[in-house]
Amino acid sequence: MKKIIYLLLLLPTVLLAQEQKTISGNVFDANADMPVIGASVYASSAIISHKTNIDGVIQGAMLGSTTDFDGNFKFTVSSDIKSIIVSYMGYETQKIDVTKNFTGLKIILKEASERLNEVIVTGYQKIEKRKMTSSYAKVKVAEIQQAGVANVDQMLSGQISGVVIAATNGGPGAPAKISIRGTSTLNGSSDPLWVLDGIPLEGNDIPKDFGDKDNIDNLESYAIAGLNPEDIESITVLKDASATSIYGARAANGVIVITSKRGKKGAMRINFNATSFVTQKADFSKLNLMNSDQKVDFELMLAGRSDLKYQSNRGAVARILNNYGEYDNFASNGFNSIGLEAQQEINNLRNTSTNWGDELYQMALNQQYSLSLSGGSDKNDYYFSAGVFDEKGATKGTGFKRYNITIKDNFSVTNKLKVGASLFASQNSSDSYITGVDAYTNPSYYSRTANPYLKVTDADGNYVYDPDLIERSDLNLDYNILEERENTEYELTSNSLKAIFDVNYEFNKELQFYSQVGLQLDFEKTEKFGDENSYYTRKYEQKSRYSDGNGGYSYFLPEGGIIQNWNSDAFQYNWKSTINYNTSFNDIHELDVMVGTEFRKNNRTMIHTKGFGYNPNTLTTTAITDERALSIASFETYRKTYIENAYASFFATTSYTFDKRYTVFGSLRYDGSNLFGVDPKYRYLPLWSMAGSWNLMQEEFMDYVDVVNELKLRASYGVQGNIDKTTSPYVLGEYYQTSILPGNTEEIIRALNAPNAKLRWEKTVSSNIGFDLGLLDNRIYISGDYYQRKSSDLIGLKSVPLESGYSFINTNWATISNKGFELAINTRNIHTTNFDWSTSFNISHNKSLVEAIEIRDEDFKPSLKGHSVNAIFAIKTAGLDSNGLPLFWKDGKKISAVDFYKLTEATDGSQLSREEHRGLYSYVGDGAPKFSGGLINTFNYKQFNFKVSANFNIKQTVKQAPSYHPTLVDPGKNYSTDILKAGTGGFPGLIGYTTPGFDTDLVYNWFNSSDDGRTYNDLDIWVKDISYLRISSIQLGYSLPKEQLDKLKLSRMNFSLEGRNLFVFGSNYDGYFDPETYGSIYAQPIPKIISLGVNLSF
Amino acid sequence: MKYFKYITVLFIASFISCNDYLDIDPIGQIIPKTVDDYRSFLTTAYASTKEHKVLSTYRGDELSLKSDAVGIEQYEDIFTWNDENPSPLVRSFAYASFYNTIFYANHVIDNKDTMTGAQEEIDQLVGEAYALRALQYFELINLYAVPYNKTTAATDVGIPITTHYDSDKTYPKQSVQTVYDLILSDIEASENLLNTVEQDLGFNYRFSVVAIHSFKSRVFLYQNEWQKSVDASEAALEINANLMDLNTSTDIMPSEYNSVESILALETVASFDLANNASISQTLVDSYEQDTDLRFALYFTPINDAYKSKKSANNKFKCSFRVAELYLNKAEALAELNEHALASTTLLELAKYRYTTEGFEDYTATINGLSLEALKTEILEERKRELAIEGHRWNDLRRTSQAQISKTFGGEIFILEQQDARYVIPFPKDAQISNPNL
Repeated sequence: MKKIIYLLLLLPTVLLAQEQKTISGNVFDANADMPVIGASVYASSAIISHKTNIDGVIQGAMLGSTTDFDGNFKFTVSSDIKSIIVSYMGYETQKIDVTKNFTGLKIILKEASERLNEVIVTGYQKIEKRKMTSSYAKVKVAEIQQAGVANVDQMLSGQISGVVIAATNGGPGAPAKISIRGTSTLNGSSDPLWVLDGIPLEGNDIPKDFGDKDNIDNLESYAIAGLNPEDIESITVLKDASATSIYGARAANGVIVITSKRGKKGAMRINFNATSFVTQKADFSKLNLMNSDQKVDFELMLAGRSDLKYQSNRGAVARILNNYGEYDNFASNGFNSIGLEAQQEINNLRNTSTNWGDELYQMALNQQYSLSLSGGSDKNDYYFSAGVFDEKGATKGTGFKRYNITIKDNFSVTNKLKVGASLFASQNSSDSYITGVDAYTNPSYYSRTANPYLKVTDADGNYVYDPDLIERSDLNLDYNILEERENTEYELTSNSLKAIFDVNYEFNKELQFYSQVGLQLDFEKTEKFGDENSYYTRKYEQKSRYSDGNGGYSYFLPEGGIIQNWNSDAFQYNWKSTINYNTSFNDIHELDVMVGTEFRKNNRTMIHTKGFGYNPNTLTTTAITDERALSIASFETYRKTYIENAYASFFATTSYTFDKRYTVFGSLRYDGSNLFGVDPKYRYLPLWSMAGSWNLMQEEFMDYVDVVNELKLRASYGVQGNIDKTTSPYVLGEYYQTSILPGNTEEIIRALNAPNAKLRWEKTVSSNIGFDLGLLDNRIYISGDYYQRKSSDLIGLKSVPLESGYSFINTNWATISNKGFELAINTRNIHTTNFDWSTSFNISHNKSLVEAIEIRDEDFKPSLKGHSVNAIFAIKTAGLDSNGLPLFWKDGKKISAVDFYKLTEATDGSQLSREEHRGLYSYVGDGAPKFSGGLINTFNYKQFNFKVSANFNIKQTVKQAPSYHPTLVDPGKNYSTDILKAGTGGFPGLIGYTTPGFDTDLVYNWFNSSDDGRTYNDLDIWVKDISYLRISSIQLGYSLPKEQLDKLKLSRMNFSLEGRNLFVFGSNYDGYFDPETYGSIYAQPIPKIISLGVNLSF
Repeated sequence: MKYFKYITVLFIASFISCNDYLDIDPIGQIIPKTVDDYRSFLTTAYASTKEHKVLSTYRGDELSLKSDAVGIEQYEDIFTWNDENPSPLVRSFAYASFYNTIFYANHVIDNKDTMTGAQEEIDQLVGEAYALRALQYFELINLYAVPYNKTTAATDVGIPITTHYDSDKTYPKQSVQTVYDLILSDIEASENLLNTVEQDLGFNYRFSVVAIHSFKSRVFLYQNEWQKSVDASEAALEINANLMDLNTSTDIMPSEYNSVESILALETVASFDLANNASISQTLVDSYEQDTDLRFALYFTPINDAYKSKKSANNKFKCSFRVAELYLNKAEALAELNEHALASTTLLELAKYRYTTEGFEDYTATINGLSLEALKTEILEERKRELAIEGHRWNDLRRTSQAQISKTFGGEIFILEQQDARYVIPFPKDAQISNPNL
């Protein structure tokens, strides 16, 4: 106030008496070629004073105007005003000379290099970028948009340093496994927290191990599955403790904040998107399986070896030989000695070839549409969108559909009170295949093991059942992949509604109250159906077998299909209230304080029903009346589960900035939750963090360095805790029912876990230092961070002696640290009027170290102590001896298996102590990649734009499932061509008990049954290092030029052609579809996609 | 600034009400406190089924197997005593499930003073817990250790014992004597607490006074404490001495849970595979006088050219203790005490209900003509006939002569030598893996 009075004394207030002129013009946006509405245009040095009601206080006001809906402005000032200033949030302010020309001005505003004026949305508060002390990365979805991607997580691959996205499975709608800054837990979830407009999203944890077929085959609904990527404006990833501690214990793995689009002031904008995309059929030849010719030769070879007896009557060749009674004859005298008919039949097999890839995988045409309407006025902005996504998976019988509707409105009730409401509604359906309890019928697995000469249907069109898929030695349940697909269904439909209501009340410029209620409702229905004529039902029937008292057996399962339904209703509300106090003193000190509470409750009701004897025509089931069914869980027809959780948290943050240079930030949060049976002293967990940043550009000495236009240093430190809710110092029980003697059912209480009185908090301490550097007016922008995280007292499963009554307990048993760095470099390489080339490169490195872990005497493998969390241990082999038996390295010498394992006659195998067994292993590599990152190049030439996105992983050690087992080779199964090399190179030869050779019987016994630690799977021949670079997207786009747009009355029209996952360069990944899923024989292939899309805006 | 006052009050208020907000009792979960809770808790332990009796039947001489039988790979190595190099598919004897049951019993016993409810119910429950625990240790010691021998028991290697859960303890093997001492002290504690004399039908899987006496009688028999065994048998017989008369009714087997003889119907004695894919051995078949022994037709059924057990996995066949065993225990102990006449009488009391009238006359004549030694052998033979396919045979062979057994399987002959080391079953692999002390 005082300043203005002084100014007034200096300046003549001669306004009223002076001459005037009218300044008018028009303000446009340089890029979008659209008017800028609400831009401030004002005379730079004209200050008019008004007397106010208070004596001695004069209020000053700038003279000017704001642009209207068409970008026009007009106002009158005194004639000697020399220049006007045009400014608008997000654009570079311009000063226009108005001494000569001052009417009909055409002013073009350029977007401000976003950096400093931006506001970072953390979900709890909006922090000005210049005051930000934490490590984060922000991406605008428009920049990473890819077509044909169901979920937003897959689009983030390679985009953000430190964020490693691993495709788990090529299935449609399948989740990606995201890890931010490495893995800091052994057994818990390592998923980051997804937040939508301030509301944390609930969903299922993404399984860790996609080598386990259940995790691939089970359909689950994940937190972000219902979101339409078209509705997302930007994604901010919060990486270090100071950013995430405000979220509480769930944010230990990082936070991904999604900000959805909202309407902008102006006329209604209509945007329409249509994309068609083709998923190509997977290349089955990558699996290197044997073809019919090779398989027949292989079976003949096996039949000829009398020492290999395992399942020797399986496989078509053995069946033919046995049919003619020629098996022994062949074994002794060879092919030519058997009858001509047998020879003919065997040779016919060579000519029958089923392409399992064609049976299982398909090329599919898919589509995606979305429509949005948005707009706003001074008081109100709205956004509405609807979208449809339909993808048929690369595996036949799988698919994913999503329908979305989003409605958002923000309304200013008064100057001080603003309210907003958003509704996100979606329905997803996923289709997949059913697999039974065993792995054999998983399509990926089956396609690798089914014989190439097995026909799918015979000449009459009837299903041919696989004679080699045998349930038990006497029982073949008739499996045919086509029949199974036609007679079974597995579908997950998830209806989700997220509603967010918020209220913002400004008491005054400094004090604001904000409250937000988020509701999330999820209704999930899953249905699994197996018709009467399906392998699934036949296999299920076996569980109902009982002896009928006459030496035979019967089944109490009624005739008909089996239908299982899971209905899950989940509800969550999240109520957050904060009070923000932002103030500044003396223009030098800025203080921001926030205090808040958060209350959250969620509950989930799940009902699982099973119906037997199901008739798909009448949609009815038959009740099982047999008493035997009462005690078998597989025949339980109804089970309801109810879970409820409540959380209450209190938090506060403070930020102090001195002279716009130094910022200090602190946050504290107390998380409380319902913990039944947990020691009460653990009810509230404290989390806190401290951070600081130094904005060097404000320092005087930086004025001399012209090259640098932005330089900021940051550091942060934070502590957070976590408690495992499933373990209790008390014996916790759950109610069940049982029947011990006939006719008597009783309620029982089963102990859930062994009690653990010593359970403590897990604690994670994280520190981070980083810098942001902008050179040459942000033509080069570099961000780097170095971080350290140490998690101690991690809770994990520890196996215990069976005499305790349990096999595992949860205990605090490990300390893990993660160290790493992240670097992101963005450059505008060439920037001319017509041509533009910019590059974005990011790379990250994370090294985890298990600093302490309880070593168990009974472990077969060395403990992880001193190694990374994903350390891979293997046994070093040294080739083969003359009989094809493996040799091993020991003290620099090659020794036989007998010596290596200390195998002795007439014992149960090895004489090694458990400790010596551990000594057999060597550390061979880290299962997590050494470096990960992405490289994105964008080229713009006039109306065309071309973008290539790539992501890479450097040096990752992976272990594959062995291609074959030397003692368990089944002639009825197909194998990869690796088995043809058995006995040569490094591949162990096939052996039986009587195979000639020195002590082969010992080696056979060892690998066949005595090897409890399964060392065969850990031989170094199955381990390899992989690095790859995947061109995840190549995109070519064309925007219609302005003249054409005007003719069509459109504001924008773009075409785009994109190819995804087209190329992968890198190490050999033979035997598997993709390097990302190397080693998993159950994963579906990651599809190559070509898409064509059009985008219109009105 | 005045707003701050209101706000602070609001926060403090919410803090206080917070604890109520967070107090959610999960549906379906409970920390046992009342005697009813602990009863349901102990019932879980009772419900745990173990197959060791079935597998020990395979290991003994009661069955014969064909090498092409369905599921043969699960049993052949047990059948032929191949402990050295068994198939990876072979079934293993229960181990972890015994200790799991012991965990439940331990927990009930540990909390006997804090349980709320009627004292009578608490005593009965805790008494049952002691008895159940003793039974688990008894089964374990007879599978995985040498039979009780008074002179060497203090040094014979036994099994680990635990009476209290502690996540940090180690489990070294205790001597056979220590284990039996624990069993007997548990039985004594149980006797002092149990008040239900006999359990009702449907609940007769639970221990009762008669059951604990029967258990005691068996334990002393195995320890060769003959007089103590006789006393215990008589105490039990005082409560229930009913024998099913097979002359009047053969609807059900005497070992079924609802027979008048049933004292404790807890353990599984047969399975689907035993009933369908195995047949009765020739030696067992030959030991019956098929014309006069009413048990033969009741226990076995002829299928094709072999006999198969009629007992199966059905819950009704569960049996741990029954009256017939009491008579046999008593007869055997009396014979060992040189009470020739009493032993014969006891044996004949049982036989009366098992043979046809003429058969019984012949049998009586035979018995009366035997010497003491021959009587002892005959009592054991009668035991074999009476308790066929009931999980007794293997233990009886062990504690008596550890006789040689010869079996033909797949064209080969397998012999278990007299006093063979394989009369002791080795600890299961997974137990050895988890406990280095084994």
